[in-house]
Amino acid sequence: MVKSIVLKPEEIRAKGKLQFKDIELNTYATPMKEAAKHYPRGDLLRMHRDMAILREFESMLNSIKREGKYEGISYNHRGPAHLSIGQESLAVGQAYTLTPEDFSFGSHRAHSEILSRGLRSIAQLEEGALLDIMKNYFGGLTLSKVEKDATGGVRELANDFFVYGTLAEIFARETGWHKGLGGSMHAFFCPFGVYPNNAIVGGSGDIAVGAALYKRVNSRPGLVVANIGDASLACGPVWEGIVFATMDQYRTLWDKGHNGGLPLIINFVNNLYGMGGQPVGETMGLKILARLGAGVNPDQLHSERVDGFKPLAIVDAYERKRKILQEGRGPVLLDTLTYRFSGHSPSDSMSYRTKEEVDAWQAQDAIPAFADELVKAKVATPAEVEGNLKYAKELVFRAFKKAIDPVVSPYLDPGKTPVIEKLMFSGKKKLVLDSRQPEVLIPLAENPQLKRLAAKSRFGLDAAGKQLSGMKAVVLKEALFEAIIDRFYEDPTLAAWGEDNRDWGGAFAVYRGLTESIPYHRFFNSPISEGAIVGAGVGYALSGGRALVEIMYCDFLGRCGDEVFNQMAKWQSMSAGILEMPLVLRVSVGAKYGAQHSQDWSSICAHIPGLKVVFPATPYDAKGMMYTALAGTDPVVFFESQRLYDQPEIFVTEGVPAGRYEVPFGEPARRREGKDLTICTIGATIYRALEAAKTLEEKYGLTADVWDLRSLSPLNYAPLVESVKKTGYVLLSSDACERGSYLHGVASNLTSLAFDYLDAPVAVVGSKNWITPAAEQEESFFPQPFWLVDAVHQRLRPLKGHVPEGNWTDGEILRLNQAGV
Amino acid sequence: MAVFVQMPKQGNTVEECLLVEWRVREGDSVKTGDILCAIETDKASFEVESTASGTVLKLLATAGELVPVLANIVAIGAAGEAVDAATAAAPAPAAPAASVAAAPAPAPVSPPAAPVLTPRVASPAVTPAQSTAAAVSPRARQLAAANAIDPGSLSGSGINGRVTSQDVQASIDSGASPRLTPLAKAVKAETGLVAGSGSGLGGLVRARDLVSGAVLRERPVLTDLPPENIPYKGVRKLIGDRMAQSLREHAQLTLNSSADATALLAIRKAVKENAETYGLPKISMNDLVCWVVAQTLPFFPEVNAIFDRAGATVTRYHGVQLGVAIDTPRGLMVPVVPDAHRLSPAALANIVAQYVVDCRKGSILPDLLQGGTFTVTNLGALGVETFTPVLNTPQVAILGVCAITDQPARGTGGEIVLQPRMGLSLTIDHQVVDGAPGARFLQAVVKGIENINLSLALLGAL
Repeated sequence: MVKSIVLKPEEIRAKGKLQFKDIELNTYATPMKEAAKHYPRGDLLRMHRDMAILREFESMLNSIKREGKYEGISYNHRGPAHLSIGQESLAVGQAYTLTPEDFSFGSHRAHSEILSRGLRSIAQLEEGALLDIMKNYFGGLTLSKVEKDATGGVRELANDFFVYGTLAEIFARETGWHKGLGGSMHAFFCPFGVYPNNAIVGGSGDIAVGAALYKRVNSRPGLVVANIGDASLACGPVWEGIVFATMDQYRTLWDKGHNGGLPLIINFVNNLYGMGGQPVGETMGLKILARLGAGVNPDQLHSERVDGFKPLAIVDAYERKRKILQEGRGPVLLDTLTYRFSGHSPSDSMSYRTKEEVDAWQAQDAIPAFADELVKAKVATPAEVEGNLKYAKELVFRAFKKAIDPVVSPYLDPGKTPVIEKLMFSGKKKLVLDSRQPEVLIPLAENPQLKRLAAKSRFGLDAAGKQLSGMKAVVLKEALFEAIIDRFYEDPTLAAWGEDNRDWGGAFAVYRGLTESIPYHRFFNSPISEGAIVGAGVGYALSGGRALVEIMYCDFLGRCGDEVFNQMAKWQSMSAGILEMPLVLRVSVGAKYGAQHSQDWSSICAHIPGLKVVFPATPYDAKGMMYTALAGTDPVVFFESQRLYDQPEIFVTEGVPAGRYEVPFGEPARRREGKDLTICTIGATIYRALEAAKTLEEKYGLTADVWDLRSLSPLNYAPLVESVKKTGYVLLSSDACERGSYLHGVASNLTSLAFDYLDAPVAVVGSKNWITPAAEQEESFFPQPFWLVDAVHQRLRPLKGHVPEGNWTDGEILRLNQAGV
Repeated sequence: MAVFVQMPKQGNTVEECLLVEWRVREGDSVKTGDILCAIETDKASFEVESTASGTVLKLLATAGELVPVLANIVAIGAAGEAVDAATAAAPAPAAPAASVAAAPAPAPVSPPAAPVLTPRVASPAVTPAQSTAAAVSPRARQLAAANAIDPGSLSGSGINGRVTSQDVQASIDSGASPRLTPLAKAVKAETGLVAGSGSGLGGLVRARDLVSGAVLRERPVLTDLPPENIPYKGVRKLIGDRMAQSLREHAQLTLNSSADATALLAIRKAVKENAETYGLPKISMNDLVCWVVAQTLPFFPEVNAIFDRAGATVTRYHGVQLGVAIDTPRGLMVPVVPDAHRLSPAALANIVAQYVVDCRKGSILPDLLQGGTFTVTNLGALGVETFTPVLNTPQVAILGVCAITDQPARGTGGEIVLQPRMGLSLTIDHQVVDGAPGARFLQAVVKGIENINLSLALLGAL
């Protein structure tokens, strides 16, 4: 794909041997007496204190879940609690080197990582900055719950604030980090660099890559840590994320100032279990996880195994790895060893491991061992160690009492107030997400594609009303291009990627001419990793940038199902509005390429709460809606039809404007006016519906109101209802397979909204519930104009003298459904 | 001393009645003639009037219970008076062991001497008639309501004959919709009443012709009402259980045929035109068919029969006790025309017309609902072209009369002409009647209809 990279047979075919460097395992062995010289004594004491807090916190939850009480106080926590008892030393060691500008992403088992980073940030930040963070977080709501009982200074107050806020979130209270909408598995706290923890195993594996990409592309300081479990390595998106993060182009093709490997530490929290499955010896074959690095790139990902039972070993590793990242030689893989004493979850009966094994690891418990070393090395006195344990207990108990108090810590009542409804979308308009000058290669006016387009007609019909060739008029793909390149010259954070986007111009040439204008770091080819393409987009967008990603065929949505349905759609609301998701996913609906390249899955996307789903069918709409998508702060799945890329504008007589304009989401457009029936379509079917409308008028004297819905979600039904009131008959059609089509929802809503105005039940005509056959047989699969006429005749109103070719009767509906086709 | 009111005996073959609901409570004062409770037999519903005055001392049955006829149901006496338990519980005279399949021509039986006051039966409960709901689109319904048109009266041009707004509009445009006087218009707008049949010149609707249009008017509101639970009990349950039993226990076979109705139509027309001159009653197509059937049946005793499975006997009759199915708001009723074979068409028409009135009012004598040997049922008026009548057991055959439709046929010169043909659907019990005898009977009925003039000419012979 890049002409500058020449593949030479004599090199590639040369005989030789592939050699690997040794991979270090648990090499840290510095005695405490020696190590202590490099740390302020207070830091070492605080590391012990923080481990004790983490242990107490998790033990409290363990006690609540298993016995229903803590310190004699009963409480029933209905939600999950995936505890990390035994893993505290790893979390505290990692947090020691990180600062709030470093982002860490994690898993469902993240309480220790959240608390350790919070406690460490509290120790690092200026008191004024700390106070600002506490006062500004949800208007100081959480702070107000702890400040009146606080004793001691700002940092002690902050410790109370942080432990309480985390616990309140776990207990689903309004005073938690996300008003209780995230909960145990999704808690995070951005001001301290703690980014989304993910309940989907390996979910952070590609999202963290996007955050690292954001830092690289926008020259932001700090590194990114992906804390994912050892067992998540078996998940496709994790592997996709590793491939995406190690592309050669970062170092070889990206422009100076932005080149170099991603500042990313892929930190496998290796507790030796995936729920109860054992990656070593049972469910995987790596034996030593660190081995993986050797297979990924010549740097072997600078992989090593670090003994997480020694917090200072982790600190040492992170200090060394940070240097590698700063030199642009990332990313890095760490296999950090630990062991979970507690079960996977409270329902874990530990049927998969022996008591002897657990006892043997508990004998290695890092917290007493670290205290012992501190005392032996005369860094701390036994009284100081005791004091830490006491402080931990009191801190957690204070937070616990407040977090379970319904007056101090109320629940949101989403059934009574539309609070979640309001959080589903951020709904803002932001033209730029940063004030920098956008980095581009040439002035906009010199772009060769724009120059080419300048010679074309903006309107697609000639004076006689005949449609112009796509060579002479601006077509849909070019209209999209005009909006996209314009936004690239406006928003410096906008970055786009996908398969074959750059030199090829995207599989359907939407990006033709963009390579000449936009530098590599803002516009690049991705590996064939749809999961990572979207996952990186999620990470890029929630970090503060605007991403435009593309997955070529709609049929590949399955490959990024989790990223679209669980990640892109949900983080705005799960964060209670802390995060925004300015991410646009371009999806192209195919035809002619058979069963796995010709499906319209817009219905599936529209089913998922939290996504805006649009499907423009004209050049005017495509450009205007792309402008809207790229100016908003919400995730948009932007459907395009391959049948329409070369379609000129035939409806808006002034043609596709050369300048900027926005077409709002959710407003259906009437493409033909009539009084006898209403036809609504989604996508390319509009043109076939117009043909059907022509036949209905010419042969049967019926005029149709024909609407292009343009947008699935949101959708304003008001003009459609008015149309139905006028006509009394509704026919809906799109290329999506009929069963479960979004149009059935439209039919149901229109029936509810205009029941008393209907002369017949609303009819839905979709594609057959089959595989898409070959191009030669597509007329038997996708709705054709004559199908629509037949459906009018058999479902809405008999057409005098019409002889139907197809069967749209009640009996056929019964038969097809009974047969499941 | 307390007196007892009994469950009234509704005809000779009714053994028990369903006590639907109490209208009085213990301790209430009642006068003779006050309604005590509502009851239902298998065919009709009634109210029981008190035959004494005093205080209701005890209700001796509970609502929902099946109570044997002549059993005591209420004790009435002086307030505070004790009720003799033994007397109160005195059982009704032993119910006859006979099943519902009573003798075809039951002899009247005098009611047994009642030891206590015999209750009178109050006027039967009246259920408001509802027109059969044709498929009418919501839009058509709305437009019809706004224009005071009954959409059910229109023929539908939509899918499956659904009445659409176009049909309503066409009716309005054609002027078939009622014309109102200015005063009627004003009253209509104010009260929401709708036009009834006009008593003014040329059918002009005057204010006094306005009637309640609740069903039409309130349609959009009705759609908001919660679903209704219709209890499956009483007459409905009886009909339903018998239908199911009939289908479950009998080998039903339906034979379909049709008859040229030209002569039939001509006679009806002639009757209509000469009614005044000869003092003829209204004679419907169904009456004429019934008459033909009654004339034909004596020659086919195999289908004019009662099947007694328990007694392992089929009783064939030569006289015709003709059951006539009548649609009523309470459900299907089948009164019997005794000795129908002896009747002229006019006499038969008179009896059936009276039956229709009585059945719809609920005042038909229960005894008239028993003893048929053959039944005629008719869905032709509703446009049904063929159907499978369900046997009115223990009878072994039932004839369904269907709609008359124009069918192509060979004219006398061999040319294709349209001929009005009436569909006929005969269901027989194949356990005791074979297909061929059934078909022969049906063929005879067809011939009888087609040659009804001849039959009438020969009437004297019968």
